[in-house]
Amino acid sequence: MKFWLGLAWQSAWSRRQALALVTVSVAVSVLILLSVQQLREDARRSFSNALSGVDLIVGPRGSATELMLYSVFQIGRPSRNMGYAGFQEIQTMPQVRWAVPIQLGDTYQGHPVLGTTATLFTEFKSQGRGLDWAQGRPFGNPQQNAEALKEVVLGAEVARRFGHALGDKLVVTHGAGGGPESTEHDDQPLTVVGILKATGAPIDRSVLVNLETFEAMHQGWGLGISPHALQAANASQVASLDPKELTPVSLSAVWIGLHSRTEVFSVRRKIESFNRDPLMAVMPGVALDELWQVVKVVENSLVLVGMLVAVSAMLSVAAVLLVAMAARRKEWAILRAMGVAPTSLLGYVLLESVLVCSLGILAGEIGSQGLMWAAQDLLRVQFGVLVQPGWPSAESWLSLAALVTVAFVASLLPAWQAYRLSLMDGLHPPTL
Amino acid sequence: MPLALHLSELTHAWPGQAPLIHIAQLTLPQGQHLFIQGPSGCGKSTLLSLLAGVQQVQQGVCQVLGQNLATLGPMQRDQLRGEHMGVIFQQFNLLPFLDVAANALLPTRLFASRAAAASQVWGSPLAQAQALAEGLGLPSSLWHQPVHQLSVGQQQRVAAVRALMGQPQLIIADEPTSALDDANQLEFLDLLLSTAEKQGASVVMVSHNARLADRFHQVHVWPTKEAA
Repeated sequence: MKFWLGLAWQSAWSRRQALALVTVSVAVSVLILLSVQQLREDARRSFSNALSGVDLIVGPRGSATELMLYSVFQIGRPSRNMGYAGFQEIQTMPQVRWAVPIQLGDTYQGHPVLGTTATLFTEFKSQGRGLDWAQGRPFGNPQQNAEALKEVVLGAEVARRFGHALGDKLVVTHGAGGGPESTEHDDQPLTVVGILKATGAPIDRSVLVNLETFEAMHQGWGLGISPHALQAANASQVASLDPKELTPVSLSAVWIGLHSRTEVFSVRRKIESFNRDPLMAVMPGVALDELWQVVKVVENSLVLVGMLVAVSAMLSVAAVLLVAMAARRKEWAILRAMGVAPTSLLGYVLLESVLVCSLGILAGEIGSQGLMWAAQDLLRVQFGVLVQPGWPSAESWLSLAALVTVAFVASLLPAWQAYRLSLMDGLHPPTL
Repeated sequence: MPLALHLSELTHAWPGQAPLIHIAQLTLPQGQHLFIQGPSGCGKSTLLSLLAGVQQVQQGVCQVLGQNLATLGPMQRDQLRGEHMGVIFQQFNLLPFLDVAANALLPTRLFASRAAAASQVWGSPLAQAQALAEGLGLPSSLWHQPVHQLSVGQQQRVAAVRALMGQPQLIIADEPTSALDDANQLEFLDLLLSTAEKQGASVVMVSHNARLADRFHQVHVWPTKEAA
């Protein structure tokens, strides 16, 4: 066996140019397939883990998936708001252990600004772990200290990306930025008082302020027009605002943690029957499942395309070996003359093509892990997907096994041809 | 005295055609050399395939090295050839992706009995290969050269070394000299025959060149007219 392996290797090496090309094509196809699979798994895990501490998400009645996407992942924008009174009522429910309001709409350099309360820092869990502080502290309670209105807490990614440290001042943008109506809230600079440790959750990419701060920044914007345009505001205005008058009228969403998860259905029913405001309470896991149902079609098509590309690459290996057949009939006649049985030649050619395919598969696997490793920062920052390069997952192993099987079957083609021709030619292959 | 070959009423025909081969009686004692002379395309190569056990015997007796090939299966014939025979073609004898040494040592790598026989007589397969190469006039500087850098004459000598490795009893040579120039032909043939004789191996060679016949113990002239 060692002898045949050496012989197959040396024979393949003598045709290395063509074989290297098909090896690369196998590697690329495997890379595509495995990367798609890994991204899919890692995306799912990241998304599920990002929500691990939240039992219910409450928002205006509408699409559950949409509510989850904008309130948790800051993907998309709320089209409607819920009344603040709904949040107050939720807070008083005995089953509710904690409730955190979420106010969205502004951005800082493209990062979403989250108006909320300090409760978030103690209750929020991501990947099963609570939030930790890299530096500083939570923002204060503006009801007790008006200075807290100017305080801001940064997610790890935001701090890292812009090199912010405690004490830095920053100005947030009204709206998503970039549009014709976008304007800086430069009349109200905020001071960084805390920086969170990285969690891998979307909160890393967020800028967090008090609900009242969010409200204060929008004082005078009632008509949807910047106070600059009305020339009605000045920089000293914030200090003069009374925090007690900064209670918002509406919210984007509310996150709820319950004392007992078994009460999730009764709480949901109760919230959805509030008669003041048509609300919706969504279990994150259920909403995620709905989302995956939608995404599944796309994912599956990607995997299918990857599979087809891989199969075609394996067939190209077979094709290259088949094209070389004519030139190699002499090689087999020589081996036949030395007593090698046609079945051994079959194994010999099979070995070579399996060798080429395996090399390609291995290179594809290493390449895909390398790619994940290289792109992990980008994926985390841009898409909130925490990839875990390393040993292939169970699903990837399954694909690898399928690929090896395809490689083997494709390899049978040239191997069978070698068997047939060597039996036909005997010691006298047609002269070239 | 053991016989290298014993053929009797050996007939071979391609399906639907007149017999290509018919040999009424032919006996070759072990150690003697046989020359089969005939024009190209007359079936000489097919006869060699029969003797080497690559082609199945259709009719008649074909005893090679004491074995009746008609009664052996394809695998057994392959094994008989691998363990006890050496084959030399007209040209392109060598695997292009192996160097001279690896080509010469192939039979002893493929069959343990060949390696054992070489070791028993010469100490090691490598020692036999080097001794044979020296005897056949191959400079040792070529030993690790890629085979495509060798002249045709040198390639044929490597093929002869390979055929003789591991003490085979029968060397089957198909026009082994026809790719060589006249001076080289006789020199190569003499070296091949004498080396084989020293090892006690019989050489069965086919050629169209009648000038080579006087080097052999036996000559079988292909009965062209009768066959036609």
